[in-house]
Amino acid sequence: MHADTSTRTRSGRLTQWLVSGPPFVFLCIFFLVPAAIMVVASVRYPGEFGALAPLFGGRPGEDSGITFENYGVFFGDWIYAQIFAKSFGVALATTLICLVMAYPVALLIARSPRKYRDLMVLLCVLPFASNFLVRVYAWMIILGPFDLLFSRFAVIVGMVYVHLPFMILPLYTNLEKHDPALLDAAQDLGANAWNRFWRVTFPLSLPGIFSGSALVFIPVLGMFAIPEILGGKDDWLVGNLIKESFLGTRDWPFGSMLSLMLTAAVLAIAAGAAWLAKRGVARA
Amino acid sequence: MLPPARRRLLLALAATAALALAGCAPKGDDGKQAEGETRATGTAGAELHLYNWNNYLAEETAKKFEEACKCRLVQDYYSDNEEMLAKLAAGATGYDLIVPTGNAVQTLVAQGALREIDHARLPRLADIKPEFLNQFFDPGNRHSVPYAYSVTLLGYNAEKLKELGLPTDSWAVIFEPRHLEKLQGKVTVLDSQRELFAAALKYLGHSANETDEAKLKEARDLILRAKPYWAAFNASSYIKELTIGNIWLAHGYSNDMFQAAQDAAKAKRPFSIAYSTPKEGAVLALDSMVLHKSGPRPDLAYQFMNFMLEGRNSAELSNMIGSGNANAAAMEHIDPAVKDNPAVFPDAEGRKQLEMLKDLPRRERRLMNRFWTEIKVR
Repeated sequence: MHADTSTRTRSGRLTQWLVSGPPFVFLCIFFLVPAAIMVVASVRYPGEFGALAPLFGGRPGEDSGITFENYGVFFGDWIYAQIFAKSFGVALATTLICLVMAYPVALLIARSPRKYRDLMVLLCVLPFASNFLVRVYAWMIILGPFDLLFSRFAVIVGMVYVHLPFMILPLYTNLEKHDPALLDAAQDLGANAWNRFWRVTFPLSLPGIFSGSALVFIPVLGMFAIPEILGGKDDWLVGNLIKESFLGTRDWPFGSMLSLMLTAAVLAIAAGAAWLAKRGVARA
Repeated sequence: MLPPARRRLLLALAATAALALAGCAPKGDDGKQAEGETRATGTAGAELHLYNWNNYLAEETAKKFEEACKCRLVQDYYSDNEEMLAKLAAGATGYDLIVPTGNAVQTLVAQGALREIDHARLPRLADIKPEFLNQFFDPGNRHSVPYAYSVTLLGYNAEKLKELGLPTDSWAVIFEPRHLEKLQGKVTVLDSQRELFAAALKYLGHSANETDEAKLKEARDLILRAKPYWAAFNASSYIKELTIGNIWLAHGYSNDMFQAAQDAAKAKRPFSIAYSTPKEGAVLALDSMVLHKSGPRPDLAYQFMNFMLEGRNSAELSNMIGSGNANAAAMEHIDPAVKDNPAVFPDAEGRKQLEMLKDLPRRERRLMNRFWTEIKVR
């Protein structure tokens, strides 16, 4: 009996490793290593032809070694705070619009007869079958005649359009799991439709809202293609600046520094949201 | 997110697909390009790997070359120099021939990535017009042979601009509010910091390669003053917008304006697209053939260079995409409509006004990026 338990635990542990190992290794290789490279690049000088200046033994008169100059430039200039604020504004607006649009859809799917649900989910994901850029270009053709192209409005329309499924799916997965008996109970206790939604369904769906919001907010923050295609003259977001730094000016350290600052800002927001959510849940 | 290297190509393909969906597609060349990679003449063995700009070699020319050399021409494409340099920097090898612009040749030479060219093996090099030889990026043409060039200029709706009484021979028309008032929302400028700054600097009477901070600031202020009147910064769709008539004036490349003019004529628009080089001067981009060290078949690459130096073959390129031609022997084979356009084939006086972009030192690159950010955010 005793031996049996121990083998079971051992094989359990092995399974645990086999299941969690590959994603762990994947994250290490494809997230941590690139992040470390960016950290190192962000404290170097740019090379004369792109890439990085040598760490040691640069030619005389040439910069080499470690520097915090890139961070100095970032914090010493309002323009970068401005572009960050603008990007966060666009990301926030996109997330809120997605949420407002996706919630009824997700609720509708979750409350539909089971046999239609898969079909409806499939319809939500169907746009992914065509290339993302083709779909954004289609918006150029739609918005063009109305003189709405090349504007902040067009950027947000494009962003919402592309990211809507990322809000619908987590919301649906969450809403689908709700026990309908809860709503019946609320009704029996005299709650009207609004109260049943606001006091039962909505609080229960908060985890879905948070994961959906994260899936929309973060990619929007780094997006450069949509502002480039649909945006007007002042619709540069931080993603465009990072892209321009790497490709246009071949200034890898500056681009790395910007990417890290963006990551830091996103992490700070995620931490803040998690803290707020915890407080909210505790209060509920 | 898409790797930037493939992005521009995808953009081009996506544009064509989207246009086709809308049922107003001009006869695209993208399909031809895709075929390029799989084109086979059936001759096994010898292969020449050419890494070239999108749409920068006529299909008939490629076929003729394959027949002449009894080899297969394998093409790969890029849509800007940075993309090409980035791909090579990431370790791409096996390209025998590349066709970079001057400043990218300079970078490749400095990186030691190119083979030296043996002039004895290129008897037709003498046909190249002397003003295109011995440039700053490769003194003595030790590493490069001119292929074709384009000019960054003004393309416009000829009827509209005439009707409004606006000048088409000066950068003033895209920078001066007194002209722009009549063109509100009908102008696009290139979404490229070097090109737009070059235009502004030229208009202010400075060099396109100016690095002095005060002069760059002057250019930035000029751009910021004109910006409220522009419709967009645009790098790819101005050809279509001009052709449709959505915009009336665009800052762009001569090859693109040639295409816009052709498309507008083909679609029988009630207006025509013309293009001209501003009198203050403009940017000339000379693309040259270079031999990459990683290429296994320099012998075939020499055959290709000799083939492209032949007037008739070189002329096909100008006839197809309206590019400028550095080859004196090509002139007699170029369509008069292309050859007689002073925007692309200027006289000696006009030629002096054209300037090639040089690679900027990194501090100046960063400074310009700072100004560009300001332009894009304000």
